[in-house]
Amino acid sequence: MKLKGFGTSDTARGLTLIAPPALFALLLLAVPLVAIFAFSFWSQDFLTIDYTPTLKNYREALSEPLYGQLILRSVLIAGAVTLTTVVLAFPIAYFVSFHVPANRKSLWIFMITIPFWTSYLIRVFLWKVILGYNGVLNSTLIGVGIIDEPLTFILYNANAVVITLAHAFAPFAILPIFVSLEKIDRSLLEASRDLGENHVMTFLRVTLPLAVPGVVAATLIVFIPTIGDYVTPRLVGGPGGLMIANMIQTQFLKLNNAPMGATLAVIAMAIVTVIALVFIFLNRRWLKARS
Amino acid sequence: MTTTPPIVSLRDVHKYYGTYHALRGIDLDIGAGEFFSLLGPSGCGKTTLLRTIAGFEDLSSGTLLLSGQDMAGVPANRRPTNMVFQSYAIFPHLSVAENVAFGLRRRSDLNRQAKAALVEDALDMVGLDGFGARAAHALSGGQRQRVALARALILKPKVLLLDEPLSALDKKLREQMQNELRRLQRHVGITFVLVTHDQEEALIMSDRIAVMFEGEIAQLADPQTLYRRPTSRQVADFIGVMNFLPASLTAGSTAASVEIAGLGRAAITPEQCPAGMPTGDCTIGIRPETMSILFDGEPAPARETSGQVHELAYYGDMTYYDIALDGVEKPVTLSMKNLVGRRVLERGETARISWDERALIAFAK
Repeated sequence: MKLKGFGTSDTARGLTLIAPPALFALLLLAVPLVAIFAFSFWSQDFLTIDYTPTLKNYREALSEPLYGQLILRSVLIAGAVTLTTVVLAFPIAYFVSFHVPANRKSLWIFMITIPFWTSYLIRVFLWKVILGYNGVLNSTLIGVGIIDEPLTFILYNANAVVITLAHAFAPFAILPIFVSLEKIDRSLLEASRDLGENHVMTFLRVTLPLAVPGVVAATLIVFIPTIGDYVTPRLVGGPGGLMIANMIQTQFLKLNNAPMGATLAVIAMAIVTVIALVFIFLNRRWLKARS
Repeated sequence: MTTTPPIVSLRDVHKYYGTYHALRGIDLDIGAGEFFSLLGPSGCGKTTLLRTIAGFEDLSSGTLLLSGQDMAGVPANRRPTNMVFQSYAIFPHLSVAENVAFGLRRRSDLNRQAKAALVEDALDMVGLDGFGARAAHALSGGQRQRVALARALILKPKVLLLDEPLSALDKKLREQMQNELRRLQRHVGITFVLVTHDQEEALIMSDRIAVMFEGEIAQLADPQTLYRRPTSRQVADFIGVMNFLPASLTAGSTAASVEIAGLGRAAITPEQCPAGMPTGDCTIGIRPETMSILFDGEPAPARETSGQVHELAYYGDMTYYDIALDGVEKPVTLSMKNLVGRRVLERGETARISWDERALIAFAK
């Protein structure tokens, strides 16, 4: 028998290999997460932090109506963004997958990602230019005579947040749906036609059910980050479009109440998790009920 | 040939993909209840032809009639055909029973129970009774094929189209399915049109076979005629094994006389020239099983020649010999059954060969 020293067995070698990324993940993901949890059970005592564990923050967060209102608004805005994005992304993904010639598909996908070439912040500012009182949209509409006065419901409110985020997250929704559509064996569509179904019924009975995994992925990929977004509501949301992330930032930086901010962050995280799980669960049920 | 009006009728059908001429004037009638095969190497247009009948490809010109009705402008979902796809195209998100019932949705005359009973019958017919609740992805290759068959046959099509349905199966299963498909076809009485590149499969299963090369039908005949009387060297070469020997032909009044390299002089009748009697230099074809090796002074039943064993392949039941005949560049192949007490020759041995002039087929050079 040989001595099984470090670096000789497969397990040890594997562990050595994954150690750097594991350490990286631990430092950058786990530690901040644990810190946030810890902070949420501490409390702010003017300039210092009181390290006695307490549920005071949670009690306050749940009793203060402003927080609840902000969380509800965040969920609604993120839901609206997700719905808009996925509904608009599906036809685009479908078109690229089914109607663009195979040798042009990568070019199309590449072009869809072009908005990513500019910074997120600049894109948000551009929407401000487009949606503003004297912005591109209003001047154009007045110019062609469709409206007499500038529209005001499109900037500095929740609508602006939805429009801006839906644009920003479009590629995130298009790509997973595109991938799931690409994976559909085209002979399945022919089989459906052969068995007597027209194009519409083939889409409903074959294409759509097989694209569900992509739609689910798109929904989660859009919903989870948008609910915690704070740049867009801050810049285009106005007072009525502020979301929970803006409050978390205010707590941490302006009100110097890190424990309260951490508590709101934990609650927001918990709500996202619950919504995502319920969504996945309903989906499984729906898929199972069909088969 | 069948006397009933044809179920499938193609007249001067052409198909172009851009400048590529995939189907070059196909004329074809397929009778009711026939097991018909389209046989040819890959790229010969047989799958294109099948897909044209199914309605997945448009004709560039020509007409297609299905039981007397012109199919121009009729989409695939309105045609009285159903298809078994090469990949089987089983819907992965549905169970076996749902796959089989897929085409029944539009049958408003049937209630749930009637549909379920039909599905049950269809599964029973293909030997999958009790598999209804299984998930489609949990099936083996052979089972997937049976589902594809049941799914198509449940709709009682006028024509069942099969696109290389057995090519994905292993040898044993393929042979079993060949028998089963044949039995099933007789049982349901539906016209089957099978596309295959496997000549053996076509011979075993079909009533008639159309051999296709480069978008044209080279020969259309029943299996025996196709094997015994191929009308061209290309067909003869594609169906089974055929030895080709250079020869020179002198025509007589009723029979012709040929001088064949390695075999000698022989008489040949017009029936042995399916493509018409050639003149002068020609090619003579002879099948491996019509020649045999004579052992230990055994007398030749017909004609005799000799050669050296160049190469041999032992198959268990058979041995295939490549024999170098005197004055012939390419060795000829002949096959011998490995009967009790019959020895297998070795490479380099001299062998006496028996052959029969009735087995010869003459082609133009």
